[in-house]
Amino acid sequence: MTRSSKIRSFGAVLCAAAIAAACGPTSTPSEALAADQTYRFGITDDVTSIDPGHVITAVDIVVISEVFTGLYKFDNNLKIQPSGATALPTISPDGKTWTFNLRKDMVFSNGDKITSADWVYSWTRTLRLNDAYASNLEPIMGATDVEAGTATKIAGLSAPDAYTLVAKLVAPAGYWLTELAMPVATEVVDQKVITAAGEDTWTNSPSTYIGSGPFKMTQRTPKAAMDFQPVKNWWGGDTGKLTAVHIDIGLDDVSRVKKFESGGYEVVGPANSQPGPDDVLRYRNDPIKSKLLNVYVGGRTTAVGFNFTKGPFAQKPGVTPGDSTVNASDPGLDGRRAFSMAIDRVQLADIACAHAVTCQPAYGGPITKGFIAYAGDNTDTYAKFDAGAAKALYTKWDPDGSKVKGLEYRYNTSAGNTKIATNLQAQWKQNLGVDVKLVPSDFPTLVKDRQGKKTIIFRESWGIDYDHPQDWFDNLFICSQAKVGRGNNEGYCNPALDAIVSAANAKPITDPATVAEYNKASKMIVNDVVWATLFYGTQPYLTQTYVRGTGYNGLYDYNWEGIRLLQH
Amino acid sequence: MSRGTLVYATQRLVLITFTAIVVSSIVFIGVHQLPGNAIASEKRLNPATEAALLHHYHLDLPWPQQYLLWLQGLAHGDLGESLVNQGVAITPLLTRELRVSVTLGLAAVVVTVVVGMSLGVLAAIRQNTWVDYTASTAAVIGYSVPSFVWAFLLILLTVTGFYAWSQGQIYEDIGWGKIEQIPVPAFALGLPYAAIVARLTRASMLEVIRQDYVRTAWAKGLSARVVILRHALRNALIPVATILGPLITGIITGSVVIEFLFGIPGLGKEFVTSILSRDYNIVIGVFTFYAALVGLANLIVDLLYPILDPRIRYGN
Repeated sequence: MTRSSKIRSFGAVLCAAAIAAACGPTSTPSEALAADQTYRFGITDDVTSIDPGHVITAVDIVVISEVFTGLYKFDNNLKIQPSGATALPTISPDGKTWTFNLRKDMVFSNGDKITSADWVYSWTRTLRLNDAYASNLEPIMGATDVEAGTATKIAGLSAPDAYTLVAKLVAPAGYWLTELAMPVATEVVDQKVITAAGEDTWTNSPSTYIGSGPFKMTQRTPKAAMDFQPVKNWWGGDTGKLTAVHIDIGLDDVSRVKKFESGGYEVVGPANSQPGPDDVLRYRNDPIKSKLLNVYVGGRTTAVGFNFTKGPFAQKPGVTPGDSTVNASDPGLDGRRAFSMAIDRVQLADIACAHAVTCQPAYGGPITKGFIAYAGDNTDTYAKFDAGAAKALYTKWDPDGSKVKGLEYRYNTSAGNTKIATNLQAQWKQNLGVDVKLVPSDFPTLVKDRQGKKTIIFRESWGIDYDHPQDWFDNLFICSQAKVGRGNNEGYCNPALDAIVSAANAKPITDPATVAEYNKASKMIVNDVVWATLFYGTQPYLTQTYVRGTGYNGLYDYNWEGIRLLQH
Repeated sequence: MSRGTLVYATQRLVLITFTAIVVSSIVFIGVHQLPGNAIASEKRLNPATEAALLHHYHLDLPWPQQYLLWLQGLAHGDLGESLVNQGVAITPLLTRELRVSVTLGLAAVVVTVVVGMSLGVLAAIRQNTWVDYTASTAAVIGYSVPSFVWAFLLILLTVTGFYAWSQGQIYEDIGWGKIEQIPVPAFALGLPYAAIVARLTRASMLEVIRQDYVRTAWAKGLSARVVILRHALRNALIPVATILGPLITGIITGSVVIEFLFGIPGLGKEFVTSILSRDYNIVIGVFTFYAALVGLANLIVDLLYPILDPRIRYGN
C-alpha cells in the first residue's frame, strides 16, 4: 500500500467511523450506568460570550446549544430537526413567506412561558446587537434596517397569534432553514430576565442566565470553570442520563490529556479543545490506547490564497476589489496553477498534520469533504501533485524568475502554521526553483492585510458555520465580499459565479439540481485556482471506554442529552 | 511595630503604588503601539459592529485619551472589562486570580523554606558524611533543573505514574479548587529555590556552629535540638532571609509557567493567555497586580529582618 493510498483508506475509515458514530443508538436498555453521571472535560479558552446575540467561538456554541433553543436544531447527523417549532416551516410558492408554528409547551428554565412575542423580541435584539452571526437573520425583510439602527422593528417579522411566527423574506433563501438551525443568534431569550438583570450583565450570573434548553448553568467562574445541570421537567422531554457537566477552563492540550489519563476527564476534544498532535500520534500508535481515539471529519479547509487584484498572480491586475476580475488573458493563471501543482499534499499532511491524522490532503476543491456540495475526490485538477508539469508551467509563465522575485508568503504564527509554511517554502524551492520568503505575523495583522488585499500569497482557511454551500460562497467568493473587505481575501470577482450562487441560494438544498449548481460554482473556483486547497480538517477525540454518546458531527459536539457513563 | 518601622512601611507602600502606576503606564503605552486589536476576527464582523465595539472599549480614541480614562478607572479600582471575554470585569477577576497565585506562592515558599533549610541544616551538622554529600548533590540537581522541567516530571510521576501504579486509586488531580491539588505545583515551583536555600543554609550554619557561643551552648550540656534550632539556626537564618526577597520575586514570576501547565486559574496563567489573546485591558491589569505583588512581597521580607535580628532597626 502506498502512502497516498494509506491516507485515502484512512480518510474512508474516518468518514465511516463518523457516520457510524453519528447513526449509533443513543441508549441501550441493558447498559449498566455508573452511579455518578458527571461528565467532565477541559477547554483551552474561556467563552467569548454566552449571549446568543453575541456568540462567536466554538466554545460559546457548546454552551448556547445546551442552554438555549432555536426553532430548529441539528441532530448528531447534521440533519435539521424542529425544536421550538412544531414542524418544518410552511413556505409560500414564491419562497418569500415562511410561517412557523411554535410549540405551546415551551418554557424558560425559570418557568416563564415562551410565545411568539419572545421570538420577535429575541430576533430583533440579535439584529440590534448586530454581532458576528446577526447575518443569519438578514434574509428577513427589514432586518438590515434594524442592524443599521434605522428601525427598531423587523418590518418582515410578525406574530399573528401567540404561537405563530411569520417571516417575509427579501428574496427566496433556500439556505435560511440551515441558518436557523445553527445554534447561534436565533435562539429565544427571556426579555423579562434581560430587562431586569441588564442587557450586558444578564449572562454573568447563573441565576439570571436563563434559557430554554435541556441544561442550565449552575456555576461560572470566569476563566476557571463552568458547571451545568439538566433542567428538571424540561419541556422538550428527556434530558438524558447526565446529572452534571463540569468544564475546566484554561488547561493546555498536554494537561488535558494527562488529566484524562488519570481518570479526571471523560473526554478530550469537545469545544474545539482537542488533544495535541503528539498525543494523537501516541494514541494512534498504541494498540490499547488507540481504542480511545476517535478521529472525526472536521468542517475546515486550509489553503493558499492568491491575490486576484495585484501582484504576479492577479487575474486582472489593478482592478478595484469588488469589480469583476474576469479576464480572458488572465496573466496570473499559469502561475497559480504551477504553484498549486508544485505542492505534494501527502507530504504536507504528513509533516504538518501528525502523519495526516489531524488533517487529510484536499483534492476536491474548497468545500470540505463530507459536507454538502463537496465536489468529489480528485476533481481539483491543480491539487494533483505533478512536479514536472508544475515546473514546465512555471518556466513558461515566468522564464527569468522576475515575477516572483521577493515573493512573500504571509501567515499567522502558530506551531502548525509554521510547519505548513516551512514545508510549502521547501516544496516551491525544490519543485519550481522559486525562493519564497516566509513572513509570519500575528493573526489580527494577517486578517487586516488580507482583507485589505495587501497580501500576494497567504494562508487561507475557512471553518464551516453550517452545512450549506451558501456559507462558503456568500462569505468567501462573491464580488460583494471582496468589495467590503470582509471575506474573499483574494478579491476574486466573477459575475457568472455570483449569478449561479444567487440562483442556487434561492432554492432548497434538498433539490439535487441546487447541489449541482453549487458544484458548478466550485468548479469555477477550482479552474481559476482561487485557492490552492491544501487539506481538510479532522477532529480527534479521546474518550474513556465507559463513555457512550459523545462525538462530533463535523461541526458541533454531540448533544449532552445522549451521553451516559457506564459502570467502570 | 515601632514608629520608625511604621514610617518605613508607609514610605515603601507609597513607592510600591508609584511603581505599579509607572509599570502599568509603560505597559499601557507599549500594548497600544501593537498592530491589530483583540476584536479582529476571521469571522465576518459587520464594520459598524466592529466600530461599536471599539467605541465601547474606548479603542477608537487616541491612546493618550484612553490612558487618561484608564487612570480614572484605576483611581476607582476599576481596571475595565475584558476585550475578549465579554462582560467579564477585570478587577474582580484579577483579585480572585491573585488569591489563587498568592496561595500557590505561599505554599511554594513553605516548600522552599522547609525543604531548603532542612537539607541545609542536615548537611551542615553532618558535614562530610553521606548525608552532607547527598543533600549537597540534591541541591545542585535542584537548582540546575528549572521549575517547568520539575513541573513536567512531577506531572508525569504523580498523574500518569501514580495512576498506573495504583490502578487508578492514587493520582494527582490536575487543576485547582481542592487542597490536595496544591502540593504538587507548589513543589514544582519551590524546588529550585529550595536548593538555593539549602546551599545557603548549609554555608551559614557551618559558619555559625563554629562560633564560641554555640560551643558554650554545647558545653552547658544543652540538647542538640536546642543548640541547633534555638542558638545556631536563628543566626544562620539572617543570610537566608536576605535572599528571600529576590527568591519570592522568582517564585511569583515562576508561577507563570507552573500555573499554565497545571491549569491553575491564577495571575500567572492570565499573564500568558491575555497576551496571546491580545486582551490589552487584562495585560495591563496583570502587570499592575504583579508590580504591586512583587513590591509587597519584598516589603514583607524587609519587615521580617528586625524580627530575626533585633540589631536591625528602621527609622533611626
